[in-house]
Amino acid sequence: MAQHNLSTVIGFEFLRVVTKKRFWLTSLAVPLALAVVFALVFLSNAATSETAQAQADTQLVVTYTDDSGLITDAVAAAFGGSEAPDPAAAIAAVKDGTVDAYFAYPADPSTQPIRVYGVDKGIFENGAYAAVATQMLVLAAQQEIDAPELAAVVQGDVTVTSETYRDGVVSGGLDGVIPPLLFLVVFYVSIILLGNQMLNSTLEEKENRVTEMILTTMNPTTLIVGKVLSLFMVGLVQMLTFAVPVVVGYLFFRSNLNLPDVDLSHLSFEPGAIVVGTLLLLGGFILFTGTLVAIGAMVPTAKEAGTFFAPLMIMIFVPFYVVSLIVSDPRSLIVQVFTYFPYTAPVTAMLRNSFGSLSALESGIVIVELFALGFVALRLAVYLFRYGSIAYSKRLSLRDTLRRSRA
Amino acid sequence: MSASATVAEPLVHIRNFRMDFGTQTAVRDLSFDVFAGETFGFLGSNGSGKTTTLRALLGIYQPTAGTLHIAGKVFEPRDGARLGYLPEERGLYKKESVLDVMVYFGRLKGLGRAGATQWSRSYLERVDLADKADVRLDKLSGGQQQKIQLGVTIMNSPELLILDEPTQGFDPVNRRLLMDIIEEQKRAGATVIMVTHQMDEVERLCDRVILLKDGTAEAYGTVEEVQDLYGGTVVRVRCAGLLPASDLFDVARSDGDLADLAPRAGVDEAQILAELVRHGVQVRSFTTARTSLEEIFLRVYGTPSEPVGV
Ligand SMILES: Nc1ncnc2c1ncn2[C@@H]1O[C@H](COP(=O)(O)OP(=O)(O)OP(=O)(O)O)[C@@H](O)[C@H]1O
Ligand SMILES: [Mg+2]
Repeated sequence: MAQHNLSTVIGFEFLRVVTKKRFWLTSLAVPLALAVVFALVFLSNAATSETAQAQADTQLVVTYTDDSGLITDAVAAAFGGSEAPDPAAAIAAVKDGTVDAYFAYPADPSTQPIRVYGVDKGIFENGAYAAVATQMLVLAAQQEIDAPELAAVVQGDVTVTSETYRDGVVSGGLDGVIPPLLFLVVFYVSIILLGNQMLNSTLEEKENRVTEMILTTMNPTTLIVGKVLSLFMVGLVQMLTFAVPVVVGYLFFRSNLNLPDVDLSHLSFEPGAIVVGTLLLLGGFILFTGTLVAIGAMVPTAKEAGTFFAPLMIMIFVPFYVVSLIVSDPRSLIVQVFTYFPYTAPVTAMLRNSFGSLSALESGIVIVELFALGFVALRLAVYLFRYGSIAYSKRLSLRDTLRRSRA
Repeated sequence: MSASATVAEPLVHIRNFRMDFGTQTAVRDLSFDVFAGETFGFLGSNGSGKTTTLRALLGIYQPTAGTLHIAGKVFEPRDGARLGYLPEERGLYKKESVLDVMVYFGRLKGLGRAGATQWSRSYLERVDLADKADVRLDKLSGGQQQKIQLGVTIMNSPELLILDEPTQGFDPVNRRLLMDIIEEQKRAGATVIMVTHQMDEVERLCDRVILLKDGTAEAYGTVEEVQDLYGGTVVRVRCAGLLPASDLFDVARSDGDLADLAPRAGVDEAQILAELVRHGVQVRSFTTARTSLEEIFLRVYGTPSEPVGV
């Protein structure tokens, strides 16, 4: 019976969202907005390459090997580069930090990638290596063929693969940061899109006086679990709605849109970070869902619920104010507080997980905390709905509810 | 096989029920039983604790003290498949279509999708709303929504039907329709508990009643028993001329040429008629009747009572 009711609730709740026109209008608005953003990014690309130029100008101590024979000593010297005797020694020098970077130029740079090895200086600085390596080649090519137009073509076709070292060990670099960061993106998107629906999920029963019918027909746990699961499904549908136009656009219009040719095989998927990221995402989702549903069950109207909504949303954004500290100094007090405070924990921990500064112990503690508090919040939501929502127009006193639920 | 005669177990059993809201006592000490198959009128003035009692019986409120049982145990939502409850606070999912909402509740009450759909369609036909099946609920009038809610209440052929002011919001035609539907359920064997302020409905439908006052039972029994308790028969006369003051009767009500006379203890109707004639009153009609429930209601609640609790 309970099983039957659960699937009935999920079916009803899911269908009544996805059969509404409004749902599809808002869902499709997001990919549309993304398209506009992409267009703007494309238009402002010129400005960005100037920034890369500026990065290239920062003086680095680099070594290189050149199979192409294009790089002249003069050009290399202009960039603070000197030819390395052999690749192995050059990489070793990067690992122990005596030089900033080592560039290995292939025999044919227009078809083979330039391999870049650098000391990990944080993801923003690391970009400079590739810029310098490319710049060196471009300048050399310009001198060689004395034809700037051709050199520009060379520049467009050059690819660079980078590897950075921290304490002598390969660090993921940007390619390693991106996959765990995707969990953060999913977290943000799902909370922002579904937050209001979570908050309002039991408000509808209260505002429309359906609670008494529900409470005498089924277990409130069934209702709330059913609602949460259907929200989850709605979220998945919505993500697919976003993803499909993006993927289609990328696959079929990449050349027209001049989108960068992202080679996904470069992304490094570190299993540990992926598992931790998944668990942080799930735990964070459960905690925020439980909390939002509980708030909805506690207050009489959507308007009052709104006053609680804003602070929660602020808490998922506030870690970004200290993002530079999270990246550079994860030991600092504020980062520690944000890592363990439940409502800033998901974002902070996911960021640190991406940058590889979340230890196994820390991730364990945060994950357990998120799941435990998430389930407590969901249980509380059931209690609040069960004993509180009949006081339709009254905000429920938490203490009163708990006292009564124990009776 | 038990040979001994057993007293029928009540379907609803309430003993020493007390309900406090904070410092306020809504129900003080209430006990009554409702037996299977009967129609029970639950009466009382506004705020006397009727809705509170029903909610506590159905587990929506936690009683402060006392026993509230249905079929020998505390009600649980999973027993909802055998219950039909029409709450005082009506409401359904407003943004969904009539049929979707009916089928949803039907399925929660254990019906199959096909069964629930079929039942809903024929019910809509009967209450003249067949063309509204695919319309959103908030596009219906108040009374039409009430009909849908009543349908949801009875669609699982409940054994126990609890109706909190069922006729609220109905026009006279639909009130008649609703009474017919309740009577049908009753004939089909349902036990009905009904809160209402319409005393004619009670007289027409109910076997037994309870009158709540100040959070406890003021009167409890069959309709006749309660009527007898409050003066039993009245003499209704249509006459010309002034009614004399007499120590045989009190004038319970006087309206134009129509008057209800309440006989004093030990006085019978013939003595009253003789007394009227003796005083030269021209009696056009003379009937005896039981005190109407409305009369009793006015008598019980007419005088402002002390606020409950505090
Ligand atoms: N949730 C609540 N919180 C506080 N007091 C309440 C609550 N529900 C009911 N009461 C109080 O309990 C008393 C009884 O209310 P109840 O709704 O049971 O009356 P009722 O007999 O159904 O009246 P009516 O005929 O107007 O429907 C009232 O004084 C009311 O103020
Ligand atoms: Mg009431």
